[in-house]
Amino acid sequence: MCRHLAIIAALLLAGAAPYAEAPATGAIVGKVLLTTAIKGSGLPSTIYQPRAVARHQPTAAPEIGNVVVSLRGIAAPGPLNVSRREIRQVHEEFLPRVVAVTRGSTVDFPNADPIFHNVFSLASAATFDLGRYPMGRSKSATFTKAGVVKVYCHIHSQMSATIVVLDHPYFVTPEVDGTFRLADVPAGSYSIVGWHERVGERVTPITVPAGGTATVTLSLPVEDEP
Amino acid sequence: MTRRPPRLLFRMLVVTFVTASVLIAVIFGAVAITTRRQVRQTVRTQLESGQRMIAEVQRRERIGLRLQAESAADSPTLKAAVDTWVAERRTATDSVRAQLHNTIAGELARMSGRVDADALIIVDTRHRTLAASGRLGNSWPIDSTVPIVGDRSTPDVDDGVIHSGQGLFRVVAAPLVVGDGAVVGTLYLASSLDERFAERLSALAQTATAIVSDRRLVATTLPHEARHSFESAVQHLTATDDTIVIAGESYAIRRLTDLGDTSLYALSSIDQSAGNALREMTTMLVFTAIGALSLALIGSIGLAHLLSRPIGELSGAISTITQTRDFETRIPLRGSSQELDTLTDTFNALMASVAAAEAETQAAYTAAIRGLAAALDARDPYTAGHSERVSALSVAMGRVMQLAPDDLEVLRLGALLHDIGKIGVPDDILRKPGPLTPAEYEVLQQHTQLGARILSTVPFLAPHIPIVELHHERPDGKGYPRGLRSDEIPLPARIVHVADAFDAMTSARAYRPERPVEEAIRELWACVESEFHEDVVMALVVAVTGRPAVRPLVAEQERLSA
Repeated sequence: MCRHLAIIAALLLAGAAPYAEAPATGAIVGKVLLTTAIKGSGLPSTIYQPRAVARHQPTAAPEIGNVVVSLRGIAAPGPLNVSRREIRQVHEEFLPRVVAVTRGSTVDFPNADPIFHNVFSLASAATFDLGRYPMGRSKSATFTKAGVVKVYCHIHSQMSATIVVLDHPYFVTPEVDGTFRLADVPAGSYSIVGWHERVGERVTPITVPAGGTATVTLSLPVEDEP
Repeated sequence: MTRRPPRLLFRMLVVTFVTASVLIAVIFGAVAITTRRQVRQTVRTQLESGQRMIAEVQRRERIGLRLQAESAADSPTLKAAVDTWVAERRTATDSVRAQLHNTIAGELARMSGRVDADALIIVDTRHRTLAASGRLGNSWPIDSTVPIVGDRSTPDVDDGVIHSGQGLFRVVAAPLVVGDGAVVGTLYLASSLDERFAERLSALAQTATAIVSDRRLVATTLPHEARHSFESAVQHLTATDDTIVIAGESYAIRRLTDLGDTSLYALSSIDQSAGNALREMTTMLVFTAIGALSLALIGSIGLAHLLSRPIGELSGAISTITQTRDFETRIPLRGSSQELDTLTDTFNALMASVAAAEAETQAAYTAAIRGLAAALDARDPYTAGHSERVSALSVAMGRVMQLAPDDLEVLRLGALLHDIGKIGVPDDILRKPGPLTPAEYEVLQQHTQLGARILSTVPFLAPHIPIVELHHERPDGKGYPRGLRSDEIPLPARIVHVADAFDAMTSARAYRPERPVEEAIRELWACVESEFHEDVVMALVVAVTGRPAVRPLVAEQERLSA
């Protein structure tokens, strides 16, 4: 839904370009490859045993949905469109676990569980604590600084979600098959970043030709340290 | 040189003491061996039970620590701080990072009061320490790599040993899990394997303990001087060894736990335990030995007395008999033992035969002497039968004077032999019809001493010598050979003197006829107190006449003699 909105917005921007003497734009298409299982790998050790707590079967959302592809070194073409996104608390999980928004956007955290939840963040980009609230209530947070904001629940320590706040609209979440497309990117040279909340990011230089299409393949995970 | 043989008592004591001592020594040896074996078994059992106890305690401690670790690792603040720190460590400003770091450290410090661990450590996904707290937290420097412990092939192993800083730690780990199973870091609860730990184990198992890591002794409760020796001895220890020699002392050893290159051992000195047990045993045995030896002493003294007293009495009696030559005495049977009674009987029989032989010998001697006396008498027809008559008269007088039978016997033989010395007197003197010259008389007088010399050659005739030698002594001291006075002359000699004189007077001689008895008696009375003793003369009168004797008045005597 949100993704459609973004596309619509992008289309609108693209459509508006001739009238605003916009710079020439191109498109980026590419694919994200998740080369290893990146979920729940943990330490390469069995020195502890996993907790034997009855847990809800994790939502069958493909891991690729937690990847955000964005450009680095690009400024927004104009005032940022803000959006309002939603991260639900359901089955003691945040869903979706990764959300990318433009700066100034607001995220709602409705509680869909029959128990109290809490949302807090220690991130430098947005430090907040929304307090505890029961089922049916919703609280929201507005992100005014770019950065990665990790949010947690004080009551359920395993709950976590990540909000990627960006200064520009050139970001996308890949499709289930890993393909993505970024349209209406001003021609020029940038870095394209494939980011995953656990395994870090892959940065590749890319040049977008005016009126053309650049192609890139991002392989994740990447080495955590240079 | 011959040594006197030892006394029976001494021999018995020696035999008893040697037997008792050998017995006690054998018992002591057997007991010592058994004790040592039992002690070894006991020490082993003790170690085993100590091992089981420690294993159980450690299992519970580990479960407890794991629960503590898991509950600590469940802290949302800790997770959020670690996760955020990891996400922002390269992008955030220093102050933000410091803030996150403080949050983590503060959370750890708060937890350290709630867990039984010497240190709490947070490592990130790169296995580098983010923060550490607790008593020994500073053994874990920040941003250093923590080695991974455990082994994938043995999933049961849920803890391990880590060398960090100066210390050796046993760790229990719990992951910090967020989202749907993603691990953002690991929380370690570390217990130091140090002297304190060794002492705690030691107190539980009641044995010495030692912690060896990478073939080095890390901590032990062994005495200080034994450490080096143990460290080198443990290098050669194999899995099946259950004893180890440390500084010359034998220890039972048991491996309690193996954690990678680290092993915990329980040790117990066999020598020391055996020494204690042996000391007790020795004390007991010494008292037993003293008791047994005292009993043996008393018993053997008693036994020796039981045996040696009858033997001593018997030998005493025998030696008395031998000394007194009293072969007539019979030793009474004691009834103390068959053997001794048999011996006594045999001895008595021997003595009886000796006495019989003695009597036979005496009889033979007596007969020979009597023959000799008869032959002497036969030299002179006038003196024929003289010795036999004097003998018979003397015995009759002795009876009147109430002499003892033994004295009568001496008297009888002595009287028979009184003139035996005349063998050495030449016939011409002896048979001279007329009066003797003084020189001839002197030769005649020598027959007394000659007789004594002859008799002295035969031992059993010794009692008769005084009669033979002194039968010519007179109360007035004018007799011969010694000129003894009244009381100095033995009674048998006096009797024989009177009997001799009486028989001489009542027998015919070549130079005169025999004189009647009354006249002879009168003659005797006349010489009383000068030549003869009065009581002896009275006895003769009684013996010859059969009537009580009355000494005539002096006046009448003088008249008679006139």
